[in-house]
Amino acid sequence: MATAHNPRRRQLLMAATGVTALLTATGCGAADMSKQSSPYANVGGAKSVTLSVQSWVGAQANVAVAQYLLEHELGYHVDTVQVDEIPAWDALSQGRVDAILEDWGHPEQEQRYVKDKKTIASGGGLGVTGHIGWWVPKYFADKHPDVLNWKNLNKYAKTFKTAESGGKGQLLDGSPSYVTNDKALVKNLDLNYQIVFAGSESAQITQLKQFAKQKKPFLSYWYEPQWLFNQVPMEEVKLPKYTDKCASKGEKDPDSIDCAYPTTPLQKYLNADFAKEGGKAAAFLKKFHWTKKDQNQVSELIASDGMSAQDAAAKWVKAHPDVWKPWLR
Amino acid sequence: MSATTTRSRTDPDTAPSADNTAAAEARPSLLRTLVSSPTVRKLAVLAVIAAVLIPLAHAKWAGAGWPHALTVDVSGPLEKSSDWILDNRDSHWIFLYFFGHISQAIITGVRVVYIALLALGWAGVTAGLTLLAWRVAGVRVAVTTLVSLAVCGVLGMWVPTMQTLALMAVAVTASVVIGGLLGLAGGLSELAFRVLRPVLDTMQVLPAFAYLLPVVMIFGNGVPGAVLATVIYAAPPMARLTALGLRGADAGVLEAVASLGATWRQRLLSARFPLARKELLLGINQTIMMALSMAVIASVIGGGGLGDRVYQALSSVDVGKALAAGLPIVLLAVVMDRTIGVAGERLGAPPAEGGSRLLRGWPAWAGVAVITAVITVAGRLSGSQTWPGGLTVAIEGPVNQFKEWIVDHIYTGVPVVGGTAEWAANYLKWVLDPLREGLQGIPWYGILLIVAALAWLIGTWATALTATAAMAAIGVLGVWEPSMDTLSQVLAAVVVTLVLGFAIGIWAARSARLERMLRPVLDVCQTMPQFVYLIPVVALFDVGRAPAAAAAIVYALPAVIRITAQGIRNVDPSALESARSLGATQGQQLRQVQLPLARPALLLAVNQGVVLVLAVVVIGGLVGSGALGYDVLFGLAQGDLATGLVAGVAIVCLGLMLDRVTQPTARRDRKGA
Amino acid sequence: MATTLAPETPDSPKTGDRTPVFSVRDMWKVFGPKADRVPGSPDAELSAADLRARTGCTAAVRDVSFDVEPGEVFVVMGLSGSGKSTLVRCLTRLIEPTSGTLKIDGEDVMAMDKARLRDLRRHRAAMVFQHFGLLPHRSVLDNIAYGLEIQGMGKAERRAKAAEMVEKVGLTGLERRRPGQLSGGQQQRVGLARALAVDPEVLLFDEPFSALDPLIRRDMQEEVIRLHHEERRTMVFITHDLSEALRLGDRIMLMRDGGIVQIGTPEEIVGSPADEYVRDFVRDVPREQVLTVRRAMRPAKSDEEDGGPALTPGTTVADAIEAVARSGGPARVVDGGRCLGVVDHACLLSVVAGLDGKEAAAA
Repeated sequence: MATAHNPRRRQLLMAATGVTALLTATGCGAADMSKQSSPYANVGGAKSVTLSVQSWVGAQANVAVAQYLLEHELGYHVDTVQVDEIPAWDALSQGRVDAILEDWGHPEQEQRYVKDKKTIASGGGLGVTGHIGWWVPKYFADKHPDVLNWKNLNKYAKTFKTAESGGKGQLLDGSPSYVTNDKALVKNLDLNYQIVFAGSESAQITQLKQFAKQKKPFLSYWYEPQWLFNQVPMEEVKLPKYTDKCASKGEKDPDSIDCAYPTTPLQKYLNADFAKEGGKAAAFLKKFHWTKKDQNQVSELIASDGMSAQDAAAKWVKAHPDVWKPWLR
Repeated sequence: MSATTTRSRTDPDTAPSADNTAAAEARPSLLRTLVSSPTVRKLAVLAVIAAVLIPLAHAKWAGAGWPHALTVDVSGPLEKSSDWILDNRDSHWIFLYFFGHISQAIITGVRVVYIALLALGWAGVTAGLTLLAWRVAGVRVAVTTLVSLAVCGVLGMWVPTMQTLALMAVAVTASVVIGGLLGLAGGLSELAFRVLRPVLDTMQVLPAFAYLLPVVMIFGNGVPGAVLATVIYAAPPMARLTALGLRGADAGVLEAVASLGATWRQRLLSARFPLARKELLLGINQTIMMALSMAVIASVIGGGGLGDRVYQALSSVDVGKALAAGLPIVLLAVVMDRTIGVAGERLGAPPAEGGSRLLRGWPAWAGVAVITAVITVAGRLSGSQTWPGGLTVAIEGPVNQFKEWIVDHIYTGVPVVGGTAEWAANYLKWVLDPLREGLQGIPWYGILLIVAALAWLIGTWATALTATAAMAAIGVLGVWEPSMDTLSQVLAAVVVTLVLGFAIGIWAARSARLERMLRPVLDVCQTMPQFVYLIPVVALFDVGRAPAAAAAIVYALPAVIRITAQGIRNVDPSALESARSLGATQGQQLRQVQLPLARPALLLAVNQGVVLVLAVVVIGGLVGSGALGYDVLFGLAQGDLATGLVAGVAIVCLGLMLDRVTQPTARRDRKGA
Repeated sequence: MATTLAPETPDSPKTGDRTPVFSVRDMWKVFGPKADRVPGSPDAELSAADLRARTGCTAAVRDVSFDVEPGEVFVVMGLSGSGKSTLVRCLTRLIEPTSGTLKIDGEDVMAMDKARLRDLRRHRAAMVFQHFGLLPHRSVLDNIAYGLEIQGMGKAERRAKAAEMVEKVGLTGLERRRPGQLSGGQQQRVGLARALAVDPEVLLFDEPFSALDPLIRRDMQEEVIRLHHEERRTMVFITHDLSEALRLGDRIMLMRDGGIVQIGTPEEIVGSPADEYVRDFVRDVPREQVLTVRRAMRPAKSDEEDGGPALTPGTTVADAIEAVARSGGPARVVDGGRCLGVVDHACLLSVVAGLDGKEAAAA
């Protein structure tokens, strides 16, 4: 029996030694989560860049073109991860994502990560200006031009009623990740509307397209640049004018906002380490700068022509070397 | 009472005289019988409690909905802790020395597997996995594996598939090890079992969605959090089945083993584990299936891989793309399910007689390794590591066209039955809205009382207490109204699911042909991740609660059908035979014999239906079902812990409550059929 | 009650002064709360029902003393619930006895530590179970080799040994099957082979054949008899089947409610039942098959000492009847050339009719 046990004891001893060695090797020291990158990054010798791709198509267009150029012109491998806007800041700070190419303005996050912790660096402007607002379809606005003033919205509440909105008019909102003051606006402007959250942009787009096909009236939270305007022409409803006073009031208490959305120059952000050590890729992403028209071209190829993002990017890149050549210099 | 006596008096012909006397004897004792009936007694106790408490509650906090005075605002502390975590994640010791190492270990693990898979190349991986499937489960499964992997490649999903495989490998290994150890404790120690069982039972009924937020809070977006959420979700079935398997081992065999002088360890390794191998294997299988389904949902928190592709496609309403990414997931699930299933069947059987010696034992394994290595090298030499781009087919276009065609044709204006848009509108108008208004209109104590009564009738006072406490917790957290909204969606969808499920299940139980036709469909449906169901329904049912309901019904239906059909078919044939010998018609047989005898199975079907529907209704937040699911999404999207976590807890409470009020006293032993 | 009938030093027909294989004294096994307080207390005298009512305990084995001699087949018989299965498990402490002494070959089993006890189970006493207790995931051969594996024997060696056992119990050709593919009888042969493989000093059988069909049961009994003839291994055999007990047992211990009712040879049990319970039990036994002429004979008259056929004292009455019927006259019972007595029609008939037992009971 003793002989039967001895090898087993030896095995145990070996296992214990192994575990100890492993622990020593991995280091029982600190493991900073904010410095850990994605397990899929830099595999197989290829230098890789991880880009955050947001759910809307404009952002996909940025990423597609950046990815195409990084891969074909600079020889990187690009991973894309879909992360919602605010978690993306966190992921960027931790280095799980290297860059966000289109940010719609998150002052709180900017304060925390860029100014305080310095884990994220600004990557400059994208060149595109974003605007959020309320929109109605053109076919409806043409017939009822007065709907374009918010003061008349209550008159049309009945028209915009749906099964989901109960007795009130329906204001269709999109993804929960989007910047929105709509709840406060509906309340503060005394509108007889119910906000229905589509839950995702895709759901919202599907719904809008479906409405358009039926030529039904709708009122929707929407934004530009957006390729959908090419398929479903829409007109913006004028909300009370955006002022600095209203903005500063809203900063203190988001529930008190009662004016339109501002116009935002969209920003790029890079992980601070990546910005420093990212070499050509980081330099390229900092220079990435194009117009609303460029972005819309790619967006539309993806969204309405049903091209894959990479094909769309390839097509655009081929046609516009004058735009992207300077980014590589 | 009077009904019985009247009948026996006025209708002596149909009532045999024995009945007569029985009724006569029963008369004086009927009151006593009533009192001694547990149902009546429980209701009476509840009535007394209600009579005392309701006037009090009503006087103090009248009106529908949860009284504001009874809520606790937890958003302050939650926001503070969320800020604290963000500020200290790179400095505090608990992150640096504990969570940091967990996270690093997961990253390392996933990375190692991923690199290995990429190093094998598509040729090596395909050959290796196919040969593995052949060794473990035979030629048919091997062919399935080969075809499935080829499809993954052809769809252009090779790299995401490998990422998902890497993530799954780590998550499943961790789940099996952790679950196995917990199960071992539960299987060997009575005390551990008593502690573990209710916890595991509860964890298994919770929607996957509820696990995401706490994990994200600590680990942030990315693979570590995704793996961890997956482990939390997938380990319980392993633990539970391991414990049950070890406890269920044939006592006679264990005694025989002890009588031969086996040590504790010999007993465990040579008898207890092998005897529980069916359960262990089932546990592994369930763990894999749940991990796969969670790996997809975890894409919401940055899990990457195939799930991320589905998620991306879902954001751009691209049914074709979603299908291209969803199909590999389904195929992976089917392959793993089959492989383990066949391996399980083979466990009991002796090794096949005949055949070359080279096909058995270690030479075969060595052969597998050698062939894989050769093919890997060949693949490397030919210069393609990932699936060759020329060998891919884009299915997005045709699929989307097909979808458009379907939507165009059944969305609206279909004669007689109406289109899906009309269904959705009617469902909202006539079912969901009244139900929601009803639930939100009932005073809060009324709801609590109903929950307590239902739970007590079906279980014990402890069940009732848990269910009521869970419900009250929802109120206290201040999310009563959205919870009632979610509840109304769940209840309505459950009713539809059960009506359809029972009908099809009964039919399938009686028709072998239908059953044969249904089986592969149900198999695939049950292995499909919840996410995949959301894609097509938006197009058909508009944004809102209707598509969520539709997805939930489609998702829960297979389990309900299967359990119902099995329950009815497993009814003791002698009981049925005796009914037939008495000349019962088909309908009578069904009503009087099959359904009553299949009652436990039907109750289980109800329970499963409720749990599964809840899981999808919550994910329905992605397609506009609003309420709690939206709040969780909002919390995830905005990093708003206060909203998200509270909604998550409310979902947990709802799940707990729903499970308890549909849980027959005899607890089920496994999930699904 | 019944315990008074248990002899302090049971004598066996075949023993000299060799050490008994098992020596059990005053053994109790009580199940229930505070079971260890029952033996020796006044409660110990209570009937099963009263004990249960008073203390919540059940005495499965109460105050049992007996010896198992080397080489004998010792049968423990009783109806279900009589405590016989518990008793046999107490012999290797698979069930821990509550009190009493237990020795194997003179060594105190109760004092053994875990390792020593394992050694006892591995090498000295092997058990065959009613429900076989085979490992369903192992082949027949590996099941048989299992006991050897537990002992730490190498694979080749134990397989070779197991192969021998396969032949011994007549399972040749089935080595690679799984237990699930065998009939009940075949499975029990595997169980038997597994027990034999470790070459134990004593075999313990716990109702091994009750789950089998009658015909197969008979085959298996023959098998056990044959094995016993070949190897003379000591066996303790538990059964509830009287005819099985009578067929196999050198001595039979009859149990009821945990206590011993009677210990004796089959002939003693059938011929001289200790009480009404035993008498009832053996009522339907074909006495002529069990009782011998030793019991039936009467002293020979002087003219009978030389004539007629000669029978040994161990001849059953049934055989004697045949001999007497053939010869037409009384037959002599001869042991070592000495005439012990004679049997004639009358005395044989009185045995068959059960009239002889009356005197024994009266005495």
